[in-house]
Amino acid sequence: MSAPRSTSDIRTASAMWTGKPAFGLRLRTMVRVGARMMFHDKLKLAGTLFGVIFAVVLTNQQVGVFLGLLSKNTMFIDHAGADLWIVPGSTETLQAGKPVPMDALYQARTTPGVAWAEPLLFGGATVSLPAGGSEPVTLVGTKSPAFRGGPWNIVAGSVTALRRPDTMIFEDSQRDQLGGLNLGSVREVNGHSTVVGGFTWGLLPFAPAYAFAEYDHARELMGTPSDETSFVLVGVAPGANRDSVARALQARVSRNLVLSAPEFHSRVLRYLLVQTGIGATTGMSTLFGLLIGLIIVSLSMFSAVIDNIREFGTLKAIGCRNRDLALLLLVQSSVYALLGSLIGLRMVALMVENMHSPKFALVLPWQAYAGTPLLMVLLCGLASLLALTRIRNIEPAMVFR
Amino acid sequence: MIQTEDRPHVVDVRGLSKVYGAGATAFEALKEVDFHADAGEFVMLSGPSGSGKTTLLSILGCVLRPTAGHVKLFDRDVAGAREDELPALRLGLVGFVFQGFNLIASLSARDNIALVLQLRGWQPDDANAEAEKLLGEVGIPDKANSLPRDLSGGQRQRVAIARAIAGHPPLLLADEPTANLDGHTGLQVTEMLKNLARAHGSTVVVVTHDNRIFHLADRIVHIEDGRIQEVSK
Repeated sequence: MSAPRSTSDIRTASAMWTGKPAFGLRLRTMVRVGARMMFHDKLKLAGTLFGVIFAVVLTNQQVGVFLGLLSKNTMFIDHAGADLWIVPGSTETLQAGKPVPMDALYQARTTPGVAWAEPLLFGGATVSLPAGGSEPVTLVGTKSPAFRGGPWNIVAGSVTALRRPDTMIFEDSQRDQLGGLNLGSVREVNGHSTVVGGFTWGLLPFAPAYAFAEYDHARELMGTPSDETSFVLVGVAPGANRDSVARALQARVSRNLVLSAPEFHSRVLRYLLVQTGIGATTGMSTLFGLLIGLIIVSLSMFSAVIDNIREFGTLKAIGCRNRDLALLLLVQSSVYALLGSLIGLRMVALMVENMHSPKFALVLPWQAYAGTPLLMVLLCGLASLLALTRIRNIEPAMVFR
Repeated sequence: MIQTEDRPHVVDVRGLSKVYGAGATAFEALKEVDFHADAGEFVMLSGPSGSGKTTLLSILGCVLRPTAGHVKLFDRDVAGAREDELPALRLGLVGFVFQGFNLIASLSARDNIALVLQLRGWQPDDANAEAEKLLGEVGIPDKANSLPRDLSGGQRQRVAIARAIAGHPPLLLADEPTANLDGHTGLQVTEMLKNLARAHGSTVVVVTHDNRIFHLADRIVHIEDGRIQEVSK
């Protein structure tokens, strides 16, 4: 393009130079300038990334602990292998409460579409320690020979050990707490002499650890009447419709509640989230992590604009529009978000890998890994608004001062 | 006032006033100023600090709105232009050379120049090639990849001049381009600005009070106390 030398040339030039290149080209230009500005000031880059990483690690750690806690409280339902549960009418969580009459078991066994039904006892028990004192356990009675409902994750001994008289299986991580348990150790449980026949790994709910006994042994230990049980586990026959069987069963055991395993799982989750305050507590700390991250990123980006205010003024003076500079900030905030998420999630993955014990586990589903970068892009976009406000107010005339 | 009737007034300012602030603290930086520049002319604005010359330059550069008066650039009434039209006007009509160079610190010399071209719609490869050509024209072809911090003051101002003429804007505005340079370099840089502007057919308005470069001007407009006091050649 040659420069205008006459009035007509001038008119032509003025008309041609509308300064409106395609959006794609503007975007590419702003991506390039934004990225260069970011990586030029490495200290500022590190500071801002720290904010994003902090938010990513803290929120995912909180979510992981929370989900780990929830899974500890629902793992029994998930591992019991039952399609349907018959529970007392007021049941909100997996705890011993009002008993279920044994009639419900027989009703279940004679309901069309039911493949099997077994009773499950649940209750508190006390293990007396050799050196004095006692420790509580959650005693679970499961019916031989199928042992529906557990135990699982057996790391020593075998489930068949429960067929031996007065034998129980305990949680491996509680061995020291229960006075140095070993296979063959003898302890008094609720005043009855009991032999250790095996150990499970990680069966620790948000309550005393599970300890398993054969159903009749457990009933004897807890003094449960023979016409009562805690829950009834039901397996649906292949080809039968679970919901139809549940409806039929519910009609026959109207004083109790028939829940599918997923329904019972959700009911327990709802109870934990709403009634116990765990949801609110964890939610608050997760929000706190996000808020701190938001503040750090916001202040870092604002400070980067202040540090480079003359450059932004120059960009405005040479023809950048506010929306171009908004694009530049958006590019920067997205890069901060994605880079910070990448580093933060790697740290979280290492935590998940290494912080796995029977008592504590971080549980992070793939949705957390996939959702974090998106959340961070939103968060950093929000954080860039403060910087954008400052940029909007920059007078391009400042370049002449 | 020297009139060059054979050349059109590409910059035409009439009755221009600019007041900063309001009420008791109001300050009138420009008072009923009439000014023009013709196509291809090299005009210098001189005057003491606070005389209003930078305010006039800012209004010509569409980075500052006047309080009153008419400003026409290339037959376009920029004083009446909407706020959102100004960036496109600046991009299309004006190239700037700043006292403090104002290069983007994180961009190489080539990228500083190419940036303006890309904003004007040039494809990146073409913009880079043109930027390198312009660096050759300002005498530092080997500094394409250098960051501003690695360049001397004179070299930075050369990059700034290359950026200003990139895309051949018809109007170049320079604010004290020699203020941060030694006498010899300042003269060299101003001569270069004039020669390049002439080669590209651009009109140039330079704010300066450096009398060592006055002889390069086609016209010198002296401003004092917000009014044009004298025009000389």
